[in-house]
Amino acid sequence: MTTPLLSVEGFSLLAGDAVLLDRLTFAVGAGEVLAVTGAAGSGKSLLLKALAGLAPPDLTCDGTVRTVGRRILVTADGTLFPHRTLGAQFVELLHHHLGLDEHMALRRAVEALEWFRMPAAARRLSLYPHELSEAQRWRAVLALAVAAQPAVLLADAPAAALDPTQRAWMLDRLAGWARENGAALLIAGRAEEGVAGPADRRLLLEADRLRPAPPPPGLAADGDVNREPPPAGAPALSVRDLRVAFRLGRTWTGEDRWLTVVDGVGFDLAEGDTLALVGESGSGKSVLARALLRLVPPSGGQVAWLGRDLAGAPPDALRRARRDLQMLFPDPAAALDPGMTVGAQMAELLETLRPDIPAADRGPRIADALREVGLHEAVAALHPAALDAAEAAHAGLARALLPEPRLLVCDEPAATLAGADRAAFLARLMEVRRRRRLALVYATQDASDALRVGRRALVLLLGRIVEAADSAALVEGARHPLTRAMLAVAQGAKGGGSGGEFGSGLPGDPPSALAPPSGCALRLRCPLARDHCAQEPPALEGAATSHRIACHYWETNSQGAS
Amino acid sequence: MDRTRGTAATPKSLWPESPWRAAGRRLVERPSASVGLVVLITLLFCVPTAPLLGNGPLERALAAGQGSLSFALLGGLLGAAAGLAWGIAATALGPRAERSLMGLAERLAGLPLALALPLAAGLAGRGPGVLAPAAALTAAPFIALVTRAELRALLRREFLAAAQAAGVPPGRILRRHLIPNAALPLAAAAWTALPRALAAESFAGLLGLGLPGSVPSWGAALAAAVRAGDPAALAAPALLLALSLWALHAVGDGLRAAAASGETPRTAGGGRP
Repeated sequence: MTTPLLSVEGFSLLAGDAVLLDRLTFAVGAGEVLAVTGAAGSGKSLLLKALAGLAPPDLTCDGTVRTVGRRILVTADGTLFPHRTLGAQFVELLHHHLGLDEHMALRRAVEALEWFRMPAAARRLSLYPHELSEAQRWRAVLALAVAAQPAVLLADAPAAALDPTQRAWMLDRLAGWARENGAALLIAGRAEEGVAGPADRRLLLEADRLRPAPPPPGLAADGDVNREPPPAGAPALSVRDLRVAFRLGRTWTGEDRWLTVVDGVGFDLAEGDTLALVGESGSGKSVLARALLRLVPPSGGQVAWLGRDLAGAPPDALRRARRDLQMLFPDPAAALDPGMTVGAQMAELLETLRPDIPAADRGPRIADALREVGLHEAVAALHPAALDAAEAAHAGLARALLPEPRLLVCDEPAATLAGADRAAFLARLMEVRRRRRLALVYATQDASDALRVGRRALVLLLGRIVEAADSAALVEGARHPLTRAMLAVAQGAKGGGSGGEFGSGLPGDPPSALAPPSGCALRLRCPLARDHCAQEPPALEGAATSHRIACHYWETNSQGAS
Repeated sequence: MDRTRGTAATPKSLWPESPWRAAGRRLVERPSASVGLVVLITLLFCVPTAPLLGNGPLERALAAGQGSLSFALLGGLLGAAAGLAWGIAATALGPRAERSLMGLAERLAGLPLALALPLAAGLAGRGPGVLAPAAALTAAPFIALVTRAELRALLRREFLAAAQAAGVPPGRILRRHLIPNAALPLAAAAWTALPRALAAESFAGLLGLGLPGSVPSWGAALAAAVRAGDPAALAAPALLLALSLWALHAVGDGLRAAAASGETPRTAGGGRP
């Protein structure tokens, strides 16, 4: 490596007397990818802005930052000008930086968009930013940065809001571009955003200082995967051919149009067993979780708890079932009524679900539940607005535990938490689950979370199960391309090395339920797709009795991969 | 992790205000809203007692406010009730009713509804029985649109699903969760009927098609001053009308600010300054 394109020596950032960044020293050479991770508020965005020369004017910079060539910063929100077409923005930027005329600029723009696999790139240039989907917008933002051929590209949490499989693919393309063109790429973001995936080196920004990021534990480490033996006994929850569809209205021919969100899902769950529902956004895992509790009316199939079907249950029977089945919501703060104190809402739940408990005993029970999840009992007197995200999550757990349930349905229960809070909450959830022998249904888009929590996992795509297996079996040999991609991304995000051909996620966007592709729903993104995949949707068939896959070529594909 | 909030937290965050008190604080903390409230209360006190205060131009103009303000209250209440009922019906009666009711409201909201009052007065006479529904019509479609939007947003909130998961029967969800959370946003929406009714009646009065001559009103006082060519007589009612319209709007803005939930926005991309 010759002279580095970006070299930072003793760089400090001060706001008055407060030290925001303390004597950072690092360098990024040509074709090198550096990831800077850190918790929320650790100063990653500030560092990137300062490196781009855009530090807020009231801060004092100290030390030296040397760059060779052009710097470009991609901000965390990835905004484009709202009132100008993509093409106009490319032309303006490329004219400014490279002095290209319009024709050349548009040609460069199409090349850059195609590098990020924007479908029909040339036609997208006449669109406005709001006409693009979130994933396409990020492709455009990254393409815009890449097209200007910067020597130093600073990317702040790029595509953080996208699905892990999409994000990993985009970051991989971005890193590939930097390596091919000899640019220095600096990606900042939280560790769980997978920015470390394609990086050559990783640094951790912590307590204002930079230090090498510790080597993350691999996914396949034994303690990380749920390898409990299957519990004995008859299934307590049994789901058969469950369907959820929403009517969208009529077509002009008078037919009803339906949006099918969950399509023929079935599974059994014994008491004390854990099941993970894994899928990207739009896979129907969240609706499925709600349909189990009849919070969303199912349009077909049956959900039976202890042999009793809940789909047609009268209100009384349903209330008795709700005592056993409780839910954790993805945004725990929003799941609490802002107008009532936490305690009043918990008392309301006791009043409806446990009429056998006298009113005088409700207070002590609520205090017990709050203490069990590690909250102070005084929280009962608070209104939800006074709780932070982690406290709200714990309060939600306490409320769910109140009626002494036997099954907890969790829909991304830690989605609003990050870093240590998230780990602490999940640890608390697992501890409570072990102590109370709760059965758990855990919907998540993070494959490594799923394998850690669930003894069994169902991988969902567009409302259908594409792979169902024990977590241990999935770690050793996932067969469906989607599962393999999600696992590889979860592993790569931690920097545990690339996961083979799927290590960089999947190109393209998750399929839309409004216009599903013919045949296999994954075929447009699947690197192993063949002609037959477009013709008919694959059926769920077994590699073993407990391991079933919906892929036409699971046998041949997995042989080729291993 | 042990979150012992009770010992670690400061008293302010340990016993925070209730949501209603917080909403009241947000209302009063807006300077324009609190000044508007003071102005409104002063007007409500001075207008009925104006004849006792004297017989200058200002007192006469204050006395003329009796008709205007009581009509604004009557028409405004009627319009608010109609608009709320309209929006609630659209939300409760299913998609087909919603489409037709809201389609009607949108089309009406696009019309110059301030003309409804002089039109009704010209066609059917100037009694309050004609004018009050006409004034209600000028406000109702807007309130219906806002009501429907607020209710739709409210019905999607997660705590309703949580209450359902807690087995709370629908009637009680409505009573305990839906109505308390809808009250403030809907009150803020309904409040807009008051300034609309006042403005519409004053406009009609200026044209000579407002309340009957026996009832004093600012619009009629303005029209009389214009006819007499008397700028001094014009100033006082014009000023009072403008002041009360501003005060009504300011309080309405304050109510909207109070209804907006006091959640602090979450930082999405890390700690940006």
